[in-house]
Amino acid sequence: MFVHIRDLHYKYPNAEELTIDQFNLTINKGGITTILGESGSGKSTLLRLIAGLEMPTKGNIMVGDDCMCSHSKFVQPENRGIGMVFQDYALFPHMTVKENIQFGLLKWSRKEKKTRLQEVLELVNLEGYDKRYPYELSGGQQQRVALARALAPKPKLLLFDEPFSNLDADLQIKIREELRKILKTTGVTSIFVTHDQEDAQALADNIVILRDGKITDTGTPDEIFGTDCDISERLAVKPRVLSKL
Amino acid sequence: MSIIFVSLILLPNLSIIVQFFSESNDNWTHIKEHMLSTYITNSIILILFVGVFTALIGTSLAWLISAYDFPLRGFFKWGLILPLAIPPYIGAYTYHGMLNYTGVIQTTLRNQFEITVNQQYFNIMNMPGAIFIFVMFLFPYVFTITKAFLARQSTSLIENARILGSSSWRIYFKVVLPITRASIVAGVSLVILEVLNDYGVVKYYGIQTFTTAIFQTWFGLGDLNSAIKLSGTLMVIILGLLILERVLRGRKRFSFTTTKVKLLKPVPLKGRNKWLAFSYCMGIFSLAFILPLLQLIYWALLTYEKFLSNELFSVIGNTVFVAFFAATIITVMAIVISNFSRLHRGLTAKLFPKITILGYSIPGAVIAVGIVTLFISIDELIYSWGWTSSYILSTSVVMLIFAYIVRYLAVAYNSVESGFERIGTNFTEASRMLGNSVTQSFFKIDLKLIRGAIFGGFILAFIDILKELPLTLILRPFNFETLATNAFNYATNEMIHEAAIPSILIIIISAVAIYFFHYVLERE
Amino acid sequence: MSKKILFFSSIVLILLFLTACGGNESSSNEDELNLYTSRHYDIDDELYQQFEDETGIKVNVIEGSADELIERMKREGEQTADLFYTSDAGRLHRAKEQDLLQSVESDKLNENIPKKLSDEDQEWFGLTKRARVIVYHKDRVDPSELSTYEDLATSKWQDRVLIRSSENIYNQSLLASFIELNGRDEANEWAEGIVDNMARDPQGGDRDQAKGVVAGEGDIAVMNTYYLGGMLNSADDEEVKVAEQLDVFFPNQDTTGTHVNVSGIAVTKHAKNKENAIELIEFLSSDDVQKQFASANYEYPVNPNVEPAETLKQWGDFKEQDINLSILGENNADAVKIFNEVNWK
Repeated sequence: MFVHIRDLHYKYPNAEELTIDQFNLTINKGGITTILGESGSGKSTLLRLIAGLEMPTKGNIMVGDDCMCSHSKFVQPENRGIGMVFQDYALFPHMTVKENIQFGLLKWSRKEKKTRLQEVLELVNLEGYDKRYPYELSGGQQQRVALARALAPKPKLLLFDEPFSNLDADLQIKIREELRKILKTTGVTSIFVTHDQEDAQALADNIVILRDGKITDTGTPDEIFGTDCDISERLAVKPRVLSKL
Repeated sequence: MSIIFVSLILLPNLSIIVQFFSESNDNWTHIKEHMLSTYITNSIILILFVGVFTALIGTSLAWLISAYDFPLRGFFKWGLILPLAIPPYIGAYTYHGMLNYTGVIQTTLRNQFEITVNQQYFNIMNMPGAIFIFVMFLFPYVFTITKAFLARQSTSLIENARILGSSSWRIYFKVVLPITRASIVAGVSLVILEVLNDYGVVKYYGIQTFTTAIFQTWFGLGDLNSAIKLSGTLMVIILGLLILERVLRGRKRFSFTTTKVKLLKPVPLKGRNKWLAFSYCMGIFSLAFILPLLQLIYWALLTYEKFLSNELFSVIGNTVFVAFFAATIITVMAIVISNFSRLHRGLTAKLFPKITILGYSIPGAVIAVGIVTLFISIDELIYSWGWTSSYILSTSVVMLIFAYIVRYLAVAYNSVESGFERIGTNFTEASRMLGNSVTQSFFKIDLKLIRGAIFGGFILAFIDILKELPLTLILRPFNFETLATNAFNYATNEMIHEAAIPSILIIIISAVAIYFFHYVLERE
Repeated sequence: MSKKILFFSSIVLILLFLTACGGNESSSNEDELNLYTSRHYDIDDELYQQFEDETGIKVNVIEGSADELIERMKREGEQTADLFYTSDAGRLHRAKEQDLLQSVESDKLNENIPKKLSDEDQEWFGLTKRARVIVYHKDRVDPSELSTYEDLATSKWQDRVLIRSSENIYNQSLLASFIELNGRDEANEWAEGIVDNMARDPQGGDRDQAKGVVAGEGDIAVMNTYYLGGMLNSADDEEVKVAEQLDVFFPNQDTTGTHVNVSGIAVTKHAKNKENAIELIEFLSSDDVQKQFASANYEYPVNPNVEPAETLKQWGDFKEQDINLSILGENNADAVKIFNEVNWK
């Protein structure tokens, strides 16, 4: 049990309904979990709650042995040791790839920073790109920089918010596989949020299906999808091709 | 921190608010019966037309310059901000100077061509004339803010619209205007506040507005209490409008964080369109800057001998010093407050920035009363402790600088806020996820990303202070002249020729500041 | 956070520094004099300089509109300027009413300034005199047509009168004098008549009224003499040409006299440098200085020993309204109300 979320509730200040309603989840160390849901299902909010960017109305979050939040405690996001890859990457436009990646290495020595930079660049296959600015990179490269940046400080847990939504289909499949390999190599525990069942199927060890802030189904990809051909209806997720338009 | 700042701003307004709730007297009936209805109608007409025209001219120019390439585009980028350097009341005097019976147009017609044209056709001193003056000298507020926004705008939206077969006009009305709404609102609200506050133009042109009512009540009826009540009413209306806009805008946010944002690449215009675009920009630029400047230079040549003295240099020094110093403080405060409001949810965080508008929404002369009251009471306190032998704050330039802050915080704030709005909060969140606290993130990321907006806010505040009148006039220490007070003194005595030199100096200093601003932005 | 604190404290430090620099000027000092004025003429500054050269007393100045300065004095209480100088008797009276001024005894002043141009309790003293007259076009108007201010409100002058807006203090004082001389009802009628006879909506300053006459928008203008003086001596040839087509008529010579107002000066109640203040007033009323006043600004000197400038002399002598100028202040609010009621813009 590496990540342990219990009885999580969240409501936006002006909203009437709960965005996250009684959410429980446990994740094993090194596992890749995908939260699958339509837009508006609350999946991104969930990610932000785990990251510490939002404060839950109620509930506990434990990562490793540390309590991140409970009724009496709230750890600020910068102190959680959790990494995140944003949907739009949020690469700092005024910094080079190198500066972006080293940005999170706050108390590292110069030499350590240099080694780490090489390590992660190698990991994401971007050696030699360290002097570029984000706008000089393709979408796929930007995404890999974002991943490298999130991995660099060696987070306990890595969060991905719709990581493939800005990529075209061919690239998506290629990167998906690469990504799984990288994550397995580093052994980092990770949580994905996506609306794309193929992404979920290809990446995840475990899938959680979220609808209106509630879990409707969980299990391994095989358990969820099986051989059933009527998946899309069951998940209330539109076929991928359509959702891309 | 931001709480301290906001309460500082509130204090002088407070003394006004207190009087706002005091008993009303006999004059109040007279004011209601004979002044309010026409004066308010005039104000509304003025605001409506000036608002619409500045929005149209400001955004269309910004759009042309961001999306197309045509002759002198590089110059217009900053040249079209220059009209801001001319105080509207000087513009009003100058235009009237050109068009009146002894003005250059009529005399040329009379003396060279022996044509006498009925003066009525050249009369600018009426409502349309006043609207023209305000539009010409205030549209750069909208232009600057919108241009900054478009510069960072995602090309995809506009390219998409083009691919979908929209004409340029359609793109402008269907895409550009809606997505620039936030910046238009920011720009136009500055324009409207300037118009509501103006006393120089409307007084000279004989147009009775709400501000006229305030000053008629104070100076004419000798009733400061009722005048403050009127100002308070104005303040409430403005605050209401601003909050309404916020509510209407709701949770819509127009920020872009993807690094995929490509800079809008200007499309070169060809043939007739090229010259049409050029003529449009050149036309506005001539009306709003070249013509009045030429007139001022002509007047200056008539009177320059009077001014070549050392005193002029000390006046220039004073002006630049206070403007620079106050603008710096204002910018820092604007950053702190807008950062607070951006990162916090809840009513206080949203209400805070609106308070910065207070000082901008009431006539300067009325704020001055609040500020004098505040400073005198602080001075009395210090005096009573025996630290000083006389009043020190109210007799020094501190009071004036404080007044500038109360008044112009809104200007810098609007610019900084639109900068923050553009970058959204994602970069901050990304930085926090990488182990940086809010403050660290602010200095490492946000501050650098909105450098342009910050600098823009500084320049706007700086120029506004250069031009500032009522506060400087009444709150300055002894023997402290600025270029604006100098120009005003001559202008009110109907010695417009003598007012030309200080006016030109204000324009030159502002122009240098604007160019410098442009230069820094271009280099980025 | 520490950076912010650093920044904030540095601002506080700089403010303290600024205070230290600028703060010690207003204290009572043997060789200084603090003056609030609503007049903005170059000649004034030259005269203060001359005064300093002669006496060694430096005159510190803050300019502002009269009412703002009155408000500032009121709020400053005991720590205020020594002198209040403004170009309207009504405002001086308003300051007196608010108990901001003090009475001054000086033989020199009694000698230099006629009694009726000063306050009856000697709380303020007139220094220059301006007349509000009728200016007419030499070709289009026969001066024999002209007689009184009251006559301008008759139908004879339908659409021929040019006069500026009611916000203007000179118009307010003019009407205030009529309230005193003819009563409120007649003053009201007069204002109504003028509004009917206006050639155009009020706009611009006094000089613009003169230009309007020459441009043919109206035939006569009501304006102060020194503006026409300024135009006759303008650096701009076109203005001179315009002014040369005009002439001055002093109205009400056979009845109540032409309306005059003064620029006047007063010692404030809490003046710290009273001696110096009186010395400056005496200086400004002296023959020499009065002559300079007259020639530089085309105002009439108050000192009877001094002749007005050449430009003014050509228009001749005239009979003045015989009212106590304090009346102008007392009736000011009523005048404004009348203007509003008759819709004089």
